[in-house]
Amino acid sequence: MNNPVSRRQFLSRVGAVGGSAAVYQAAIGLGLAPAASLAAPRARLDALTGGQRRSVVILGAGISGLACAYELERAGYDCTIIEASHRIGGRVLTIRAGDLVDEMGNQQICGFDDHPSLYFNAGPARIPAHHRLMHHYCKTLGVPLEVFVNENYHAWVQEPNAFGGKPVRMREFMADARGFMTELIAKSPNRAEFEATFSAADAERLFEFLRSYGDLDAKGRYRGSGRAGYASGGWLEASTLKTPLDFKQLLNAKFWREAMHWGELSDQAAPMMQVVGGSDNLIKSFAAQIKSSILTQAPVQAINLAEDGVTVIYNQRGENKAIRADYCLNNIPAHLLAGIHNNFPAPYFAALGLVDWGKLMKIGLQMSKRFWEDEGIYGGISWTGQEIEQIWYPSHGYNGAKGVVLGAYIFEEETTEAFARLTPAERLQRAIEQGAAIHPKYASYVENGVSVPWNRMNHMMGCGSFGTDEDRKRWFKTLQGPAGRHYLMGDQISYHPGWQEGALSSAHFVLAQLNERAKTEAGGHA
Amino acid sequence: MRSLRRPPRVMSTKRGSGLRSEFGRTLDDTKRGFPFPAGLGQRLICLLSFAAAWMPFAHAEENLVAAPPELNHCAVCHGVELRGNPLVDAPNLSVLPPWYAQRQLESYQDGWRAPAGSPDLAGREMQPMAAALDADGIRAATAYVASVPKYAPPPSVQGDAARGEGLYRTCIACHGERGQGNESLSSPPLAGQSDWYLVRQLENYRSGARGGVPGDLWGIQMRASTAVLQSDADVRDVVAYINSMSATP
Repeated sequence: MNNPVSRRQFLSRVGAVGGSAAVYQAAIGLGLAPAASLAAPRARLDALTGGQRRSVVILGAGISGLACAYELERAGYDCTIIEASHRIGGRVLTIRAGDLVDEMGNQQICGFDDHPSLYFNAGPARIPAHHRLMHHYCKTLGVPLEVFVNENYHAWVQEPNAFGGKPVRMREFMADARGFMTELIAKSPNRAEFEATFSAADAERLFEFLRSYGDLDAKGRYRGSGRAGYASGGWLEASTLKTPLDFKQLLNAKFWREAMHWGELSDQAAPMMQVVGGSDNLIKSFAAQIKSSILTQAPVQAINLAEDGVTVIYNQRGENKAIRADYCLNNIPAHLLAGIHNNFPAPYFAALGLVDWGKLMKIGLQMSKRFWEDEGIYGGISWTGQEIEQIWYPSHGYNGAKGVVLGAYIFEEETTEAFARLTPAERLQRAIEQGAAIHPKYASYVENGVSVPWNRMNHMMGCGSFGTDEDRKRWFKTLQGPAGRHYLMGDQISYHPGWQEGALSSAHFVLAQLNERAKTEAGGHA
Repeated sequence: MRSLRRPPRVMSTKRGSGLRSEFGRTLDDTKRGFPFPAGLGQRLICLLSFAAAWMPFAHAEENLVAAPPELNHCAVCHGVELRGNPLVDAPNLSVLPPWYAQRQLESYQDGWRAPAGSPDLAGREMQPMAAALDADGIRAATAYVASVPKYAPPPSVQGDAARGEGLYRTCIACHGERGQGNESLSSPPLAGQSDWYLVRQLENYRSGARGGVPGDLWGIQMRASTAVLQSDADVRDVVAYINSMSATP
């Protein structure tokens, strides 16, 4: 999913449906275009003219729905947003003191102290530089950003199968891994082959490259590196290198399989950005700058497509109400749409049933003390080979009294399901036990916590749809197209599920189609 | 993989209330097809060309049953009017008689169905929902189930219905010749139930994931009865036969 081949495939596909301009925009979106062109793509939406009236009903107050309402009402469209939950924002969910975690069968109330830095983002949390629509809307709506530390070499790698379960600093792991690898190549019996392939000067440069990359000595041997941190010494005395880790133990770890290069993945980076005060501040800003009505606690009952409009029936306080509009934009999760009465065309309905839904879980723990900062960790992520996968240290509130740590970010589906079957108290207990393998006094700092299993959250029952490229070949085009006057939106029709940028891109994609259509229809009526 | 493409059929039952078909679509409707766009360009061209392609749509706000506000979450998984949604493992509740719906909610509470550690993983998802209900909640949920129109979802299980008819003979005594159920024997109706759900429950009984808890006499009896089903094929065949009962008057 993150390799360049699939990105190329994506671009060629975009080219097939949208022409070269679309390819260019998509390339910008993927961060592939020259830096100078990283301007945000504007919504391709013209203001309605000549007294033209057009109404749009938007299903779901997720970020794509809100962005559409924001753009459409500025172009003169009448919009109504219908949301099933008690809150808006969909999976853009920031948990603070007193918040309801609306989990099916396990509703929780967040017990964090009421303090601006005590929160965690249960949904999207980090924004890379090339997510241009996110930056565009944060800037336009006046939503301040700050740095999110996504990669911190001073954080820990801890795995049951390596180093006797003892945590090692990420920097030590990486320095030693590179040292061993480069020494192996430098000592390779095939060195003659290199020399046959390259000129003597090139071979020499290659040797220097290896030395530099692995911090090898003049003879091409790895004897430890200051990059790993020092065993002893100080500012005023000479430092001694650490003895390199045991290479076999390094190989036992799974850290090198993906986590070691995490910040290099296409949608990741070492420093990213986060919304100051919590991701949902962008949602609140959208809501504040939208005039259209947003109905909450109004689950959709039926979607009736007709030639000249769409009728949506929704349930408000136990009573059915109907709304008719010229167009319907829908960011309800596809797997829940199957439970809503509709007259979608059969292939479209079938494609909705093929969307595969992700199962992720996050656990936030309020800590009485920012003990990780005493370990020299300011933001960033520790990686464990345990069920909790990761521990995130907050990239805000540094040196404050307390902090909220992300005590688990589980993205292995079966583990998420197993955790979701536990009671919230049992989940916390398990997360705390596992965290203690990295931070021995972990349990003593935990004051309270909440867990958010997305596969069990009301009105969601899943998150980012991580289908295979093969699956997507089968159903994506169908779902990206309209069904009459109905358009599906959200990260569910993006190749970058789970990213707000995917949802916003889907919104702009749909707006561009709507724009063409409104113009055509205006022409037809004239 | 899961497919919802299969055409639904118009159904009715002996009891006369009639099972509604899905959106009134027929096989012919789905065959007629829809000019399905392959790309944006094509999409824009066909925008103007799909007049008259729409399926009839029977629902108006006045003839749709709205979930009571405190039970909205039931419909998130079980769907509007509780028709079931295989994508989230939620069976069709619309065909359940109130006494059976009530007993299943109580069974979850009593630890008969999907107790902690049970291999019935979908049941484990329902268990906390049922556990959260008090007696009034169970009454309200049961009344909600009773209030929705009966509906039979389109079949999705392939099997040899003729062979299944032979296997079903064991089931007749309790569940009835037409799969209509029998309250006096505490046997639920089978006709019209989501077929994938019937398969899963039969598998649960066969494996002991259901009907293995002391005290759950009905479950224990049902588990013993599934001894007649010796293979996965047997399960599919008997369910295919139940589907055929649902589909013929």
